[in-house]
Amino acid sequence: MYALLVDVTKCTACEQCVAACVREHGLDRWQAEHDRATTRDGLSSHRLVSIQDVDDGRFARKSCMHCLEPSCVSACLVGGLTKSADGPVLYDRDKCIGCRYCMLACPFQVPRYEWDKTQPFMVKCDFCPDRLARSEPPACVAACPQGALSFGTREKMLGEARARIARSPRRYVDHIWGEKEFGGTSVLYIADVDLASLGWPSPEPPPIPSLTEDLVHKTPFIGFGVGLGLIALNWIVKRRNLLNSERQKLAEQDREEIWRPGDEEYD
Amino acid sequence: MTDRTRVTKDILWALALAGLVAAILRLWFGLGATTALSDAVPWGLWKILNMVGGVALSTSGFTVGFLVYVLRIERFKPFMKPAILIAFLGYGCSCLALLFDIGLPHRFWHPIVMWNINSFLFEVFWCVMLYFTVTAIELAPLFLEKLKAAKAVRFLHRIAVGVVIIGISLSSLHHSSLGSLFLVTPQRLHPLWYTPWLPLLFIVSAMGAGLMVVVLIRILWARWYDPTSVFGLPAARRPSVTAVSNGGSVSPYDRGPEGPQFPAIRSMASIAGSILAVYAGLKLLDLLLYGGWTSLMAGTWESWLFLGELALTALIPAVLMAIPRVRRSPAGVAIAAGSAALGLAMNRLSVGIFGYFHDIGAIYFPSLVEWAVALGVVAAAGLVLFWVGEHFPVFGERPPVSRSTAGLFQLSYGSLRQLWKTALTNSLHRVTYVAVFIIPVAFILMYPPYRADSSPADPIRPARGVDIERTVLEIDGDHGGVMTRFAHAEHQQRLGDSASCVFCHHVCLPGDKSTPCSRCHRRMNQATCIFEHDFHTRAVAEKEELGGIHPENHSCMHCHGESGLESPTTARSCLDCHKEDMYPMQAASQAEDLMHAISFREAMHRTCVACHERSMLVFNRPDLSECRTCHQSLQPRQPQESTMAHRGGEGLGPM
Repeated sequence: MYALLVDVTKCTACEQCVAACVREHGLDRWQAEHDRATTRDGLSSHRLVSIQDVDDGRFARKSCMHCLEPSCVSACLVGGLTKSADGPVLYDRDKCIGCRYCMLACPFQVPRYEWDKTQPFMVKCDFCPDRLARSEPPACVAACPQGALSFGTREKMLGEARARIARSPRRYVDHIWGEKEFGGTSVLYIADVDLASLGWPSPEPPPIPSLTEDLVHKTPFIGFGVGLGLIALNWIVKRRNLLNSERQKLAEQDREEIWRPGDEEYD
Repeated sequence: MTDRTRVTKDILWALALAGLVAAILRLWFGLGATTALSDAVPWGLWKILNMVGGVALSTSGFTVGFLVYVLRIERFKPFMKPAILIAFLGYGCSCLALLFDIGLPHRFWHPIVMWNINSFLFEVFWCVMLYFTVTAIELAPLFLEKLKAAKAVRFLHRIAVGVVIIGISLSSLHHSSLGSLFLVTPQRLHPLWYTPWLPLLFIVSAMGAGLMVVVLIRILWARWYDPTSVFGLPAARRPSVTAVSNGGSVSPYDRGPEGPQFPAIRSMASIAGSILAVYAGLKLLDLLLYGGWTSLMAGTWESWLFLGELALTALIPAVLMAIPRVRRSPAGVAIAAGSAALGLAMNRLSVGIFGYFHDIGAIYFPSLVEWAVALGVVAAAGLVLFWVGEHFPVFGERPPVSRSTAGLFQLSYGSLRQLWKTALTNSLHRVTYVAVFIIPVAFILMYPPYRADSSPADPIRPARGVDIERTVLEIDGDHGGVMTRFAHAEHQQRLGDSASCVFCHHVCLPGDKSTPCSRCHRRMNQATCIFEHDFHTRAVAEKEELGGIHPENHSCMHCHGESGLESPTTARSCLDCHKEDMYPMQAASQAEDLMHAISFREAMHRTCVACHERSMLVFNRPDLSECRTCHQSLQPRQPQESTMAHRGGEGLGPM
């Protein structure tokens, strides 16, 4: 399980990572530059990585966080998103129907849609699977001239983050963003300021699927339960109606017997 | 007999035709070009109003089914067929709208074979699909009877209770799951609406409002085709009390103007009113339990929206149904029902759209195409409702008799000659007129390029073409279609890498390396004032409070001195304070000049030409100082033509 460590104190917003990502994925570099200014956080279907302002003079790389328990994977109705064993959350274009529930479900609002196409797909960071297969780090990590990005197994990256914090405790805030938030992510952050402005809530929120999956697994049983209850209710009402009508009939007979004893000759 | 449905039908035809035009445009040009949807608002009007709202308003099939088939309440039996028809059409038009909403409509069948049992959307898809089938089965006898397929009808009647029970089970699942869809956004949805109770609130409100929709359509239908059945006879023609046939409860003093079918309608509306009262109770309880209370007291526009929507959905209908006078009048009941339906739609819009505005920090307003499709599919469903109601025994034992002017679809009736005559004089004539007018107007109004840009309007536009690695800049300052290709990377390399940045970029904004020239040089041929007075007043005042520079001075005096005259002439020089962070310009030493950025053209020329003229002498290359060195009259590259064209009119006006 790989992870990416972002050291906010080292980033200078040179955007070499963005350029490398655009090159690696063969995206439109002109449109990518255009979207830098026109989108909210710099992410678009032409920019899978962006640099966000954290604070005065502090910057952080933003992309798909590759959560350990991803909300998008749980939300996609055709199972088009999967969390791979290597770490990245991967997207299967052949399954997607374009419902965009992943975009709504993502707690970091990362998935982007190809709004400019008539046959659009969802787009997001994929940790450069081709490079991982060649056991190279993702393009953005390789491109960073400041050493703000490091890549390795998640355990190693957590260890590295802890070591850096321990080495200069007055420089870093003693917190690794992404260690526990939303059940943990594969993109980790350390910084000298609080990263709440990047959409990291505190206290650490639970993974999103834990809010829905228990409930959705119960639904077939709820459906069956409702069905059985209705069958029972239907039977009770039917029987009550039957008894009522019989009672009525008996009562009428009684009435006839009481009020018209020996009426045969009358008819 | 006058045709009361005429205006309604004409409006429905107009909406449906406009919707058709919009749907074609949507399929032809794609989602981005025709809708106001964006990465920030992935779910818009079609999903929220048509799917989440429309399905919720079509609960009638299962609630009335429960009353008639499970509880076996005889007097609600006449409601069964209208309820199923409404459910069928409601689900049908919701699914139709959804087909236009999903990015790849031809893959709508994928969830049937590709499963993800962890997804609520998957569950909703399956339940809606199965339930739609169930309503079709429940509706089938209506058509089979006409075809005289007695055997099939008998079979369907035998399995009716089973089918209804399956339908109710499916409904209880997907109506709650539509609420569960929004459980995934605890951080983003406004706390007034986000609650673990969303599924419960959704199903309870849908049950109440769904019954109200049947009530409303039942009353409207009576108003159109058979007023006496619900509204009773006009007072003058009302028979004496002894002849009233609507049950024994009418006393000689009860002057309520009501027909024989109204008591059942009223009691159904009362049931709906009670359900909605329970919904209001649940909603208030939820506020207390899950901390929405504080958000409500905050008094933001969301609080008012919440209250208004709750009042429309639950409070107004419940209160109206509790007042005997209102309860006894069909108009009163219709108002209660309409209020509930409207409130429910508002509620779904709040949960799905309005509740996210505070998080997005922007407003989403659907485009014309979105409105046209959303209303168009509903209008089409309405037209089908009219047609089925006029030709099949849905709203009564027999179809209404006033068919002679009823609509276009009586084509299947009467002799050819008569048909031709009717169509020409009445409906077809009108429909053609509407079509001829509506289709071009809709087309012109909605024709792309259109793009509601989610980013704020920016009067300053950066140089048109810059690629991500900044190897080349395509400078087309006035967007006149002729541009200069500036080899950025090459210049950088030649002048000495990162040390050379300051040669051209006289950086005024700390920490910002890639500010476009147009940030300050905003006009092509004119200098622009770039001094931000408000910012400086604030900044100086803040520093004074902190006991920084000149604590004895008022912030105005800080720059303008003690003369009392506050004008640019009395202000001190910018360089007085900005000694280090401002690039000193040789030409401009006056304070006023520093407040202005020279025109874009001037800035470009001064930067390039001065250096080129020097280099010309140094390297002995006279061609360097010629105009055509830079101005090669190249046509600018159009990055992603479709997007560029649709993003807020890029390329218009000067920089």
